[in-house]
Amino acid sequence: MNQGPLLFLGILASLVVSWSVLVLTPQFQLGDQGMVRLEDTGKDYPASRAGEAAQGEQIYRANGCQYCHSQFVRGPGAGNDLARGWGARRTVSRDYLRETPAMLGSIRFGPDLANIGARDDHTGKLLLKLYDPRAVVAGSPMPRYPYLFEERALGEGEVPAANALRFPEGYRLPEGVDEVVPTRAAEQLVAYLGSLRAEPLFFEVFPPQAPKSEPTAATNAPPSTVTTNVAPAAVTTNTPPSP
Amino acid sequence: MSRHLHAVRDPDAPTAGREGAPADVSSAALDETARWPLTALLGVSLAGLFWWGLFQVLAAIKLHAPGFLAGCPWLTYGRVQPVAWNLLVYGFGIPVGLMVATWITSRLSRTALVGGALIFLGSAVWGGGVLLGVLAIFSGHSTGVEGLEMPGFTVPVLFVGYLLMASPLLMTFFTRRATEVYVSQWYILSAVVVFPWLYLAGALQAVVYPGRGVLPASIASWFVHGVLVCWFGGLALAVALYFLPKLTGRPLPSRNLAVFGFWMLVFFGPLGGMVRRLDGPFPAWMSSLGVASCSLVLVAGYALLVNLAILLRGLGATVRAGTVTAFMAFSAGSFLLWTLLVPLSGFEFLHARTGYTLFAAGLDWLVLWGAFGTAMLGALYYIVPRLLGEDWIRPGWVRLHFGLAVGAVTLLVLSSLLGGWVQGGAINDPSLEYVRVAKRYIPFAATGTLAFLVLWGGALLLVIQLKWMLLRRWLGHCLPKLRGWCAPVDSEVRA
Ligand code: HEC
Repeated sequence: MNQGPLLFLGILASLVVSWSVLVLTPQFQLGDQGMVRLEDTGKDYPASRAGEAAQGEQIYRANGCQYCHSQFVRGPGAGNDLARGWGARRTVSRDYLRETPAMLGSIRFGPDLANIGARDDHTGKLLLKLYDPRAVVAGSPMPRYPYLFEERALGEGEVPAANALRFPEGYRLPEGVDEVVPTRAAEQLVAYLGSLRAEPLFFEVFPPQAPKSEPTAATNAPPSTVTTNVAPAAVTTNTPPSP
Repeated sequence: MSRHLHAVRDPDAPTAGREGAPADVSSAALDETARWPLTALLGVSLAGLFWWGLFQVLAAIKLHAPGFLAGCPWLTYGRVQPVAWNLLVYGFGIPVGLMVATWITSRLSRTALVGGALIFLGSAVWGGGVLLGVLAIFSGHSTGVEGLEMPGFTVPVLFVGYLLMASPLLMTFFTRRATEVYVSQWYILSAVVVFPWLYLAGALQAVVYPGRGVLPASIASWFVHGVLVCWFGGLALAVALYFLPKLTGRPLPSRNLAVFGFWMLVFFGPLGGMVRRLDGPFPAWMSSLGVASCSLVLVAGYALLVNLAILLRGLGATVRAGTVTAFMAFSAGSFLLWTLLVPLSGFEFLHARTGYTLFAAGLDWLVLWGAFGTAMLGALYYIVPRLLGEDWIRPGWVRLHFGLAVGAVTLLVLSSLLGGWVQGGAINDPSLEYVRVAKRYIPFAATGTLAFLVLWGGALLLVIQLKWMLLRRWLGHCLPKLRGWCAPVDSEVRA
């Protein structure tokens, strides 16, 4: 029984099918998505990242934060992400247009960061978290990133740097270290974290109860459809109702 | 076409060859030709396995000891973890799979390995490519695409290396003597042909010329899932379907069923890639397609189950007694469980809880180590002595390695699946602060550390024995020569 040719053709056909369906089709479906003008803010969404934050994206990638942190919010019915306060709506493909590549992550050892910029953009606290997560949350298993900081000893009469970390009461620095100053990389990373926020006003999934108007109308919407993609006034931020 | 076609014939039986094929040769002669090329492939893969073990243990420790070696950027969790994964898949999985597949192909084709020199060259290029890729990840140049972290410049190196390593297998197949193409040969051919396509398409479109936004992530899922199914699952099946009939002396009950299962796996396997990204920011049809395709792969699992259940009926004791068969049976069982759990955990009632937790890691371990790793170890314990013409020096260690590997894999998979269940429940409870979520899954992650250590220890047993055998072989060859060189020359004495 010589089925060599049949075998090779069959294998090839299977591959071509799965490639066309899972690689090519999404390319057509998602590849020509563009930015959307949000009618009520007049801004394009998603806005591209400014310099510092764009650099920070590289720091995030290089240090593999994505192996513990995801960057997507699941909708109602799929887990409890919304109740956890990870976002006001689920994230959709258009939220990621500026990412190269989108670092979605696949195991949530730590909390989701898709909206960390809306949730916690306190720069000092985020820097402190990177230097030593346990200085912010007792018992945190998140790794420390001391190599993103400069640990310095202060000489006689030297004043601390303006951007030195401010530690909580009773925090003990290592022997011989008087101040900890973030490197450029740490500041860029925090700028990137600050830029992580999915626009809650975006119509594609939010508000869930909105009338199903033509989604494409939004890009060059005539004035009459303006109201369809405006969120109800009650929810205007990504922040969950604080506990 | 007879229905009682055997999957494997006694390899030493003389055969009526295809027309124009080379004359039949003994198995020993086949192994002699394959000896050094395949040993080179084995060397590369065992180096990959060794370093995988080291870095996987390190990563697992870092998951629960946040201050451990924190000052060294090269060893931060987010770099060690992808390094370990890449070493396991590209450093160990690909070369060891090729080594075993090439050996089986030569035996099944009744043809001496063709083009062995390419394997030497290919393993050097491939090994170099993996080394470069790993150093790039360590130094912070990962692509950020999960499963394809090695940067763009390694893509051509790896691709060429793969073509060099794999072409002798195909060349041997095309000059084969045997007329029959056995089922395990089908799985081997599909794995060997599918991998470079998946890799090239995946790496080009997700890494070298990446699409925007979420596209690289979905392409990487397609790639990773396809490789898990066709390479890691497919080669595990190839090995089980070759060795189990051969070692039990029974023919495979139904060849047609096996062929049907094969096509279900090859067609629907790669289509199921989006099970890795359910509920993510992708169009809904992609997720549905993922779950549906994986459910159809279940049919392939069922076909295998029926075949093996009939084949092994009443042979329980025999299978357990032989270490190689015991490895194969464990591997087949893991594969079956995997085909069952993947679609099952794709359904929303489970996925809402187990998605994006340790559970997902557990599923990957189930196919990577449960199905593939154990099948390869079993195959190596059979192949290497024949290839080198040297017996295992410590047969007891072989059995010991079996016990360690099976114990460690079981522990790893169970602790990950269970840990994922616990973790998912905690994540979905918004009243729990995230540190408290972490406190719940960390004991399971720590159990993983133990499992990795044991797996690594087992791998060391294999590496040490192999080095020892090579050394003994080398001494066995060189010492007599040396002695001959020192001895008085007969003719001189007589003169
Ligand atoms: C080993 C896993 C791990 C890695 C790697 C990791 N984290 Fe974390 N991270 C955690 C855990 C667990 C928590 C929750 C406990 C806490 O808040 O400290 C957390 C919390 C956080 C938080 C607070 C989130 C919130 O909702 O308040 C931020 C911000 C954060 N991580 C950023 C990062 C960044 C940036 C990196 C990469 C440089 C990183 N993490 C790498 C595990 C990790």
